Order: sequence, then C-alpha cells, then structure tokens
Amino acid sequence: MTWETVIGLEIHVQPATRSKMFCGCATTYGEAPNTNVCPVCLGLPGALPTVNAEAVRLGTLGALALGCQIRERSVFARKNYFYPDLPKGYQISQFDKPLAEHGTVVIESPERGPIEISITRLHLEEDAGKSLHDRLPGLTAVDLNRAGTPLAEIVSGPDMRSPGEARAYLTTVRQLLIYAGVSECSMEKGSLRVDANLSVRRPGDPLGTKTEVKNMNSFANVERALEAERTRQIAMLERGERVTQVTLTFNAATGEVKPLRSKEDSHDYRYFPDPDLPPLVLDAAWIAAQRAALPELPAARRARYQDVLGLPEYDARTLIQEPAVAAYFEAVVTAGVEPKTASNWVLGEAMGGWNEQGHFAVAPERLAALVGIVTDGTVSLQAAKRIFGELASSDESPRALADRLGLVQVRDSGALEGWVAEVLAAHPDEVARYKGGDTKLTGFFVGQVMKRSQGKADPKGIQPILAAKLAE
Amino acid sequence: MKIGEAEVRHVARLAELAVAETDLPLLATQLEGIVTFVAQLDEASVPADSTAVAVGPERLTLREDVVNPIPMRHGPEAMAPVFIDGFFVVPKLGGMAEE
Amino acid sequence: MSAHDLAVETGRRFAEAAPLNATLHWSQDVLDREAARLSVTPDGPLTGMAIAIKDNIVTTEEPTTCASKILAGYISPFEATVISRLRSAGAMVAGKANLDEFAMGSSTENSAYGRVLHPLDHSRVPGGSSGGSAVLVAAGVVPAALGSETGGSVRQPAAFCGVVGVKPSYARVSRFGLVAFGSSLDCISVFGRTVDDAARVLAVMSGHDPRDSTTRAEPPMQLPVPRTDLRGVVVGLPREYFPADLDPGIRAGCDRAIAAMKELGATVREVSLPHTRYAVPTYYIVNPAEAAANLARFDGVRYGPRHVGSGADVRALYQATRGEGFGPEVRRRILVGTFVLSAGYADQYYVRAQAVRKLIADDFARVFADGVDLLFTPTTPTPAFKAGEKTTDPVQMYLADVFVAPASLAGVPAMSLPIGRDQGLPIGGQLIAADFDESRMLAVAGLLERTVDAVAEVRT
Repeated sequence: MTWETVIGLEIHVQPATRSKMFCGCATTYGEAPNTNVCPVCLGLPGALPTVNAEAVRLGTLGALALGCQIRERSVFARKNYFYPDLPKGYQISQFDKPLAEHGTVVIESPERGPIEISITRLHLEEDAGKSLHDRLPGLTAVDLNRAGTPLAEIVSGPDMRSPGEARAYLTTVRQLLIYAGVSECSMEKGSLRVDANLSVRRPGDPLGTKTEVKNMNSFANVERALEAERTRQIAMLERGERVTQVTLTFNAATGEVKPLRSKEDSHDYRYFPDPDLPPLVLDAAWIAAQRAALPELPAARRARYQDVLGLPEYDARTLIQEPAVAAYFEAVVTAGVEPKTASNWVLGEAMGGWNEQGHFAVAPERLAALVGIVTDGTVSLQAAKRIFGELASSDESPRALADRLGLVQVRDSGALEGWVAEVLAAHPDEVARYKGGDTKLTGFFVGQVMKRSQGKADPKGIQPILAAKLAE
Repeated sequence: MKIGEAEVRHVARLAELAVAETDLPLLATQLEGIVTFVAQLDEASVPADSTAVAVGPERLTLREDVVNPIPMRHGPEAMAPVFIDGFFVVPKLGGMAEE
Repeated sequence: MSAHDLAVETGRRFAEAAPLNATLHWSQDVLDREAARLSVTPDGPLTGMAIAIKDNIVTTEEPTTCASKILAGYISPFEATVISRLRSAGAMVAGKANLDEFAMGSSTENSAYGRVLHPLDHSRVPGGSSGGSAVLVAAGVVPAALGSETGGSVRQPAAFCGVVGVKPSYARVSRFGLVAFGSSLDCISVFGRTVDDAARVLAVMSGHDPRDSTTRAEPPMQLPVPRTDLRGVVVGLPREYFPADLDPGIRAGCDRAIAAMKELGATVREVSLPHTRYAVPTYYIVNPAEAAANLARFDGVRYGPRHVGSGADVRALYQATRGEGFGPEVRRRILVGTFVLSAGYADQYYVRAQAVRKLIADDFARVFADGVDLLFTPTTPTPAFKAGEKTTDPVQMYLADVFVAPASLAGVPAMSLPIGRDQGLPIGGQLIAADFDESRMLAVAGLLERTVDAVAEVRT
C-alpha cells in the first residue's frame, strides 16, 4: 500500500531594507514596543502608503536568483481581513499580478537525486504586527513595530515528495537568497518563516485534500513536522476517514502536529487593486541590469570550482555553502595558493575560527605565506598547523613565528646524517630485520629520527639518507 | 438579485459589524434595493478586453530606502483606548484564534 | 485687517452662525493661536483669508471626527499636507466643518452631530456631504472652505447654497491627511465666495506630494488668466444632462447662462456622453467597495472610543465598536461594499463597475479630443430639497448625484457656479474641463461670475 506525499512550501523572507515597505519607519529589531511606528503603519485616518525602492530591488534580485520571470507591470492589492495586529484591517500584498512568476530551483533530493522544484510566484507585501497572548491574562497585547516590514512571499509548486525534499528545498532557497544579498534568512531572527502544505494520495490519483502546517522554527523542525503530518494523514486514510482541510501547529517539544481550533468559514479576502498605489512598472532595461548585477550563484560557483579549479565535489559543495567561506577560499587562491591546498586549509584549520566567531581571523595573504613555507620545506605541515593557531593573535609573519617557536625544519644533510646514524646505531635489531626484508620499518626509523630531532628534521630529507645508510 | 437576511448576516460578519436581529429585515430590503439599482450595469456593453480605468499616475514612484518616519506630535499612548506597558491591549482572541 | 482682528471677527461670525450647526469644532483660543502664528509668518498668497476645514481632513489643533461617533474626540498627531500648504501661504485655519458621516451622503443629514441648516431656508438641506463647509461660506463666516468630493460632495452643496465649489482633477491635490472614503475618487475641493477665492486656495494646495503616491508630478496649477470674452471657446452641452423632464427652474437657470455664454462669443454645441446613465450605479459600486476597506481600520484598537459587546473576545470588541460607532448610511455602504467585493460577486459587480467606469471616462476624453474646451451642465436635478424628503429610500438620495458623479468617475476637474435663484433658492451651473485643465475652466467661470446675476430669479 504505497502512498505518495505531495508537499508545497510558502516561504516569507524579509528583504534587508532599512525602512518599512510602505513608510519610512525603521525595521530595526528588538526595539521597545510601538516605537518604530508612524501614521502609516499605525493605520491612522488620513495616512497613505509609499513603496520602498530597495524592497522592490531586493525582491527582484531574489526572484531572478530563483529563476523567475519578472512582471514588467505588477499590482499591489488589498487583502481584507480583521485581526488585532493588522492595523488597517487589510494587508497590502499582491494578488493576480505579482512581481514574479514561473521560477525553478534545482535541489538535491535525498531520495531522487537532483530534481527541479517550480517556484509558482514571488510577491511583495507588508508584515503584520505581533500579538502576544501570554503577556496579560485574558488579553492580547499588540506591538506594531513589525507592522509594515517588507516581506517577499515565495510559493513553490506542489513538487516535493518527502519531508527530506522539503528541507533540501529550504536549504537551497535560503542559500540562493543569501548569495543574491536579498535577506539574512534567519529563522531565529524572524527574517525567514515557513508554512507548509501537505497531502497524500495513491500514485496516479488526483491530489488529496491538503492541510497547512505552521509554527515550525527551524528547517529540521519543518522536516519533523511534515513527517508527523504525513503519518497522521496516512493513518486517517487507512482507517477509512477523510482528511479535512485544517491548519495545524507543530509542537517542537513533542514532535506532534495538532489542528488549531477550526475556523467557521475559510477567509474571503475580497482582493482588489489598492487604489492608493499605481501599478509597479519596471523597465526591461532595469530588470536586465539587476540580472547582470546578480553575483555568481551556488550552482555556477560549484561547477567552476570543480571544472576550472579542479576541486573534488565534496570540497566544492562544502566551500560554496556560505558565500563568505567561498569568498575567503577564493582570496586565498588569489594570494597564490594551489586550489586543493587552499581548500584543505580553509575547510580544515580555518573553519574553527569561522564557526566560533563568524569571520576568518587570518588574512588570506598570511595564510598564503604560511602555505609557502610549507611548500618550500621551511616547516613541516604539522608545524604549519601549529603556526596557524598563532597567526590569529599575532602580527608576526609565519616565517618569524616559525623561527620563534623553533619549528624551522632542519635540512642540513650533516645534521640529518648524524641523527640517522644515531638512530640506526640505537636500533640494531630493527636494522637487521630491515635488511632481512622488512622494509616497512622505514616509517619506524623516520619516526625515530623525528623524535631525536625533536620534530625538526625535514622528513623529505631523511628518506634518501636513510636509504643510503641502510644499503651500506 | 434577492438579498435576504442570510446574505446580510454573512456580509455583516465579514465586515465585523454588529447588526441587531430586528434591523435585518429593513437592511435586507434596502440592500436589495441598492443592489438592484446598481445591477443596471448589466445593460452596458463592455468590450471583452476592457481594462479598468486609470485615474492618477500610470506608474508608481518609489521611495528611497532611508529611515525617515513621518513625525507625530503625540505617540500611540495618547490615542489608544487601552495601553499597558507600551502595548495596545484587546480582549483575547476567542473565536478569531488562528496563526 | 491684522491677523488678530481677523481672529476676533471670525470668532464672532462662528458664534453668530451657531444655529446652522455647520461647525463641529472651533474655539477662539485656536483662532488666537493661529493669529499669533501668522503675525510672525511672512505674507503669502492667502494672507488675510480665514478658511474652514471639512472635518474629514486631519488637523492637529482640533479634533477630526468625520461627523462620526467612532472618532469622537480623536486628535490627529499629524496634519494633512493641504493644511501645511495653506498655513505656509498665510491662511488662517479656522474651525472644522460638519459633514455627512465619513462623507457619505448628499444632504449632511447623516452627521452623528446633527444636520446642517440651509442658511436661506432652515427647513432645507444645504446638500452634502460637505454641507457644513458650503454653509460657512454661504453665510459669510469665512470666504473659503475646504471640502472633499467623492461623487459631487462639493459641487452639489455649492449649487444648493449659492456659492462657488471647485473639484480639481484627481491626482492634482494631495490626499495625505484626508480620511479615505473612496480612494480612487476622493478629491480635496474648495468652496469660495468668488471664483478667485477658490482658485487661489486651489493653486496653493495643488502639486505633487511624495507622501501621496497618487499625485502626479505635474507642476502646480497656475492661476487663471482673466478673460473679457469667450471668443474661441467651444462649450459642449451633453444632451444626457438636459432630459425632457429637467426641473423647470434648473432649466431656466441654465438657459440664461447658456445665452450669456453665446453673447460673450462662445461657440455652443450639443454633444453626447452616452454612458452617463451608468454613472450613478457605477459610483455606488465603486465607492462602497473602497469605503468598506478604508473603514476597516476603525475597530476600537488603536484610537477612538471602544465598546465591548457581550462575549468577551476581540470579535465582540470589533462588532460592538463598529456597530455602535457607525451611523446607518455608513453601515449600509460598508455592507454593500463588502457584498460587491465578496466571493462570487466581485466579478459581476466590482470588476464590471471598473470597466464601465472606463467607458464613462472615455466619453469625456473623446469629447474633449473632438474640439470641445468645456462642458456646461446643470449641477443638480433640483434646488435644495427639504430635510427628511429623501431619507427613507437610499437610492433616491443617490440620484441627487446624477450630474456630478460622472466627472468624479472620470477624474476630470469640474465646478459649480451660482447662476441664479428659483423662488429664492440658489441654482448652480456646472463646468467640466479636460484632465489638468483647471485654469481654463476657472477663467471662464470668472467671466461668467461677472456676467450672470447669481441672485436674480431665473423664472419671471
């Protein structure tokens, strides 16, 4: 008895603007309640909306990054309903003429490999304020600081077939929007919110009744919530019950989805074009300029790292995940380091600092210099890793640090011969075994020379001397 | 078209407008009269590809993204019927509870 | 007259006019503060002019109630753009005028604070919705007053009261600070004792406002250049506005004015605006729809009085506040507006109405493109009617707008000029011009004002 799951996602992202969508109030987070407000976002009598140019530009960039077609003429519409944190009694959004439509993203499905997910539309709208239900007993407290903040709503087609695909879609879209510079896309800070729609059906049947799942505060929780809802719907259908169109909320502590108190009738939003706002007309030339201004997007960057820089797929994929990491990597390569080596260092030693502090403490040129003294044999790779740890807190050059820490490799053949001779003299049994054919002991001898030299001997220099002496 | 008490109740609910039961019959009659009157538009012949009228500018002028709020001589606390700790306050959601 | 003297005199006149109930708020204290402000302001085009403001335009010194209980005592924290412009030009902003509640009505009988009396016959209405503003000018309290038009609410009371009333083109004057009713129709408009008074006020107010996205970036209106004749002016008479059963007094007044225009050298010819009969039904779909959305913000949450009904939840708050706070006409319009936008009906009513509206606008555009400079019509189908005469059937009241609604739908400028009296009651003649052509319309009106005796009986 196979069931097919059908999932669509609605993402709301907040474009990174300084002011609100329809007024000049600040969008700063965490202010005292009802202080980032003005007549427009308070819905005072006589106030009128004016449209934020940067929100339009960022919405356009986001839509282009998602492969959408930009409408040259889109229309703002009123979505009419009553709620305490909706000051005008309507939300200014877009309805049948949204900013962008018909996009596609390629995601890596855990079940199906690379697949295309359609983006039905991207439109601009304003956020509502915040209603707090637990602050005052029996009452709702309303803060309108957030009212009027710009939002881009991104609606996918019903193309995902598993909770894992939903998560992959979210990761991909988030990455694209961060690359395009549209938004911080932080669920913790509320600049990215997700609502999910899920239905199940027998393969080949028409679409089942879909439910809406809300209140998921991380991508992992989206996946968990959709697992729970899929399970719930399948159980109902297998019991012979019908799925009703409800909205459910996810409880992260229990992992359960629960239907909200069902609403008496579904909303009739009575959309009509907002008479306070003429149509948003975008010239083809301006749209083309935004497209040209898009930075290199993840898929193209990964291909370039693999095809042009010759990196293995794992390295390429990992480096592109955050634009800042990729930028650092490229700066290190530009400073003269061979790509795979640069990748090793960036994904290895350098990531510790990035993860902890959110930036790379070691300038690309200094890392390149460090790699240089490994390449030219001045220090061993081991020693270099130690030096790297010091670079963040010191102004000294890697070479100076190597000297100060006594890490410069000894390559002088006289010194090396001396140590080799000492080691061979100290281990006659092993020498005999080696000469008897146990050539694996080379590693043992090299290790002993390193010990005797307190790590300073250049391993590459030891080998030929050792071989020569053992052949005697 | 016929507008009865059910239609009046429905739109009153959408508009969050309390209508006394005793007012329903008169309102239904009045609304029906108005709706019948405006339905004269059915006689107008509208071309299939007609667009809505455009009064005002043909395209939006966009506002630069700077923080520049319209100044107010007094804040929300001076106007709100109930204002506690910096918040507007309303009764609990009750039947309106959702997201 | 100094600003101080103007304040004293204006206060005296407000007090004297109190029985007309044309004023909702005025105080000598506010007038005196205006005078103090003006005495240190450089002179401007409106220096010496006291102007009353319809109480749906927000000011900071006095409340703005829109003649509704739902905004009782509401003091706006910001003032309308037009108010700032008037004050910068040296005008004394003097008191808030009564109106039909939320500008919905044609008689000012819908005010929650009592109807306004016609100054010449207290048993009659002054027209609406800007009845208070019209009366304050007609009674000589102020030389000019602001009103607002959505479907004729300045021209119609101007005609009833025997004063000049001018609606500019839509997009000409900023709506920032006008409490929205029908956003695609609303125009702040002007009453004046004379055409010149109205023109000067309009010129100061007009021009692009970055706070109102629907204003056009055109240069401000120029003052009309006075004319001495009408040679070269082509005046169209749309036959749809002169039906066979037109009130005889109205017809006599118009005939007299038309004769005067011909004598002044105008070329007068009949034209047709074939979609005129759809104007009132179209208007009464579009305005309630937009109004229903615009009035959704009045919910008792952030301002205004609140009522908490039975049932202690927020829905009870909304329904009781709005049910108690809005008067019957406003409630009716909200219900009609919600209906014509609701699922299943929006295409048939609202969408269709917007398409028919374009046909009406195209009628005007075609005529003006065809060599006609101005249209002349009666402003109203009758002189001022008696209070209570049209309040039982809403549709009867709506039909009072038959000659003024079309220009509102088309967004073109239009005005009413007093052209005579019929058994003592004023009659208005309407001029309609092409989009953004106010100056020409006002210049012709100015000449007619000097030529046609506005207080003479038209039927002898």
